[in-house]
Amino acid sequence: MEHIFQSLAQFWEYTGFANCAWQNLVMIGIGIVFITLAIVKEWEPMLLVPIGFGMIVGNIPMFPGLNIGVYEDGSVLNILYQGVKQGWYPPLIFLGIGAMTDFSALISQPRLILIGAAAQMGIFGAYLLALLFGFAPNEAGAIGIIGGADGPTAIFLSSKLAPDLMGAIAVSAYSYMALVPVIQKPIMLLLTNKKERLIKMPTPRTVSKKEKIIFPIVGFLITAFIVPSGLPLLGMLFFGNLLKESGVTKRLANTASGPLIDVVTTLIGLTVGASTQADKFISVKSLLIFGLGLLSFVIATTCGVLFVKLMNLFIKNPARKINPLIGNAGVSAVPDSARVSETVGREIDPTNHLLMHAMGPNVAGVIGSAVAAGILLSFLG
Amino acid sequence: MRKFLTTAFLLLLGWTLSAQNVSDLIIAEVVAEPDSTGILDDYGRQLGWVELYNKSTGTVNYGGCYLTDDRACLRKSLIPKSDLRTKLGPRQTVMLFCSGNGADGTFYAGFTLQPGSTVYLVSNDGRTIIDSLAIPAGLPKGKSIQKHATDLRQQHWEAEPEPCTPSPAILNSKSDIVSGGELMKERDPHGWILSITSVSVVFAALAILWFLFWLLFDRPAKKAAEPKKAKAEPDAEVAAAIALALDMEQDGDVYAAIATAVHLYLNDTVHDVEPGIVTIRRTETAWNNKALNFRKLPR
Repeated sequence: MEHIFQSLAQFWEYTGFANCAWQNLVMIGIGIVFITLAIVKEWEPMLLVPIGFGMIVGNIPMFPGLNIGVYEDGSVLNILYQGVKQGWYPPLIFLGIGAMTDFSALISQPRLILIGAAAQMGIFGAYLLALLFGFAPNEAGAIGIIGGADGPTAIFLSSKLAPDLMGAIAVSAYSYMALVPVIQKPIMLLLTNKKERLIKMPTPRTVSKKEKIIFPIVGFLITAFIVPSGLPLLGMLFFGNLLKESGVTKRLANTASGPLIDVVTTLIGLTVGASTQADKFISVKSLLIFGLGLLSFVIATTCGVLFVKLMNLFIKNPARKINPLIGNAGVSAVPDSARVSETVGREIDPTNHLLMHAMGPNVAGVIGSAVAAGILLSFLG
Repeated sequence: MRKFLTTAFLLLLGWTLSAQNVSDLIIAEVVAEPDSTGILDDYGRQLGWVELYNKSTGTVNYGGCYLTDDRACLRKSLIPKSDLRTKLGPRQTVMLFCSGNGADGTFYAGFTLQPGSTVYLVSNDGRTIIDSLAIPAGLPKGKSIQKHATDLRQQHWEAEPEPCTPSPAILNSKSDIVSGGELMKERDPHGWILSITSVSVVFAALAILWFLFWLLFDRPAKKAAEPKKAKAEPDAEVAAAIALALDMEQDGDVYAAIATAVHLYLNDTVHDVEPGIVTIRRTETAWNNKALNFRKLPR
């Protein structure tokens, strides 16, 4: 009988109840909130469900040394986590994004590319602020990339520049991407007047297949020659797009944009979530990262909208004016930020469809954030 | 324009390719007179040596280059061209012994080193000096003169004024590899330089993309659509005439006629659309039709 009690006592030591700390419960709570938001509000469910559940997985209190935790070498979770740590998953996701993205909106109105560049100022605004808050330059760079509103890019860069902060940065980036409609709308309304919101943009011209095929090749050559450090992301993005647009590799494009990206998204979400173990995650730094991440989104949106207004000053022909409501789409949260442009535009004028136009800066933002990540990596890596 | 773009592209390509050529080599270290602790060559001799370092991230073939200690004779000692071992990997070093006899092998120079002289690495054209390193006259025996990497990331190298302990085949660096973050902390503590530079680069990259696609596709497409557009816009005179007519007449039929006219005008249906293509049909005659001129063979 005594042995049984001893065994039970020993077993108790291994249970989550014996090893539980309040921080674990907080993180599990956050994980549940993420899952709830994803299911009830349908905010980025593909990301928030795996991340939320990963948070729960990673914060189950356990007896260390059993080789099951995400940070314990050789554990299953650790092996899957290597894809995040070594930066394997983000380029694969970019491959899928490339295979899903239609760059027609951008090709038909090349001037909209510049909006995608302007919105990247959020990255550097957050970088400056992070330095002000005492972060080291490499950490500040990793935090700044949240402003690119691109989860894979944020994971890729933070895994290289500040692996310790990766969990907080990834969760922050994905959270704010999910909250794009909430964050961007008030800024857009604040920075535009009714007249500007009513601007109707001309219908984009039809883009030929030839242009669509040339775009990924030329786009890749230019961006990769300028920022070779962005090669993994840019290469995969444009390669994926070429698979789609070439028309002769439909099976590959379908795999990249379907099963492959689904598998990688599941793994990246789960392992990033699991990496947010309470002892590593709950800190003042994490809170600061969340605050700076929010600011970077605000700066990015502001710069995007203001840049369109600036462009309009130089456009003489009223018929060619750009609706500033598409400025927010310069952040690369595809297609959520473009959807916000459409929604806000239609609230003012139900006949004004901005989605097609907003997709231009939106996909330019994807390229811009990958370029920005490459620059930060080359300076701070 | 296409010619210009092609030329520009080729120039860019040429410039890029030359970025990983022999100009990326430096003379990293020289020992003029080794002491008893010096390393031995393949023949068991202790000789002075020159260490070359490849700064680039690509492989460089230094075969065909020259080493010399005489500014007036840049082709003094040729490094053999045909030896595959003259390919130097990225961020790698190679040692060349100065035995005074280049025939000793690929990695031997045909002169000996003397304190007070200068060693030159000359490009394979025999004229361009890629790098040089002066050996101080008072360089003690067994000591070397080195170049040190002050920044290994950016590959900034500086000659060390004081004699050093030889470090053959070892990277000469004053400190550990400095991370970019640490470097930026020193150089740009507030982050403004990096931010401004980065924003400029992002804009430049996307602006080039915009310009190219505007030039190659968007502009031609819009130009093609231009004539129709120009017709579609009523000019000031037409607008004034319509306004005048409306002021003068109040009859509904007149309004209808004007509306119809404007509609036809804007939709370019007043006149037939001419294709603008002139087709010259070739008329075959006995003079120019080969078929008619062929000799008809009897069947």
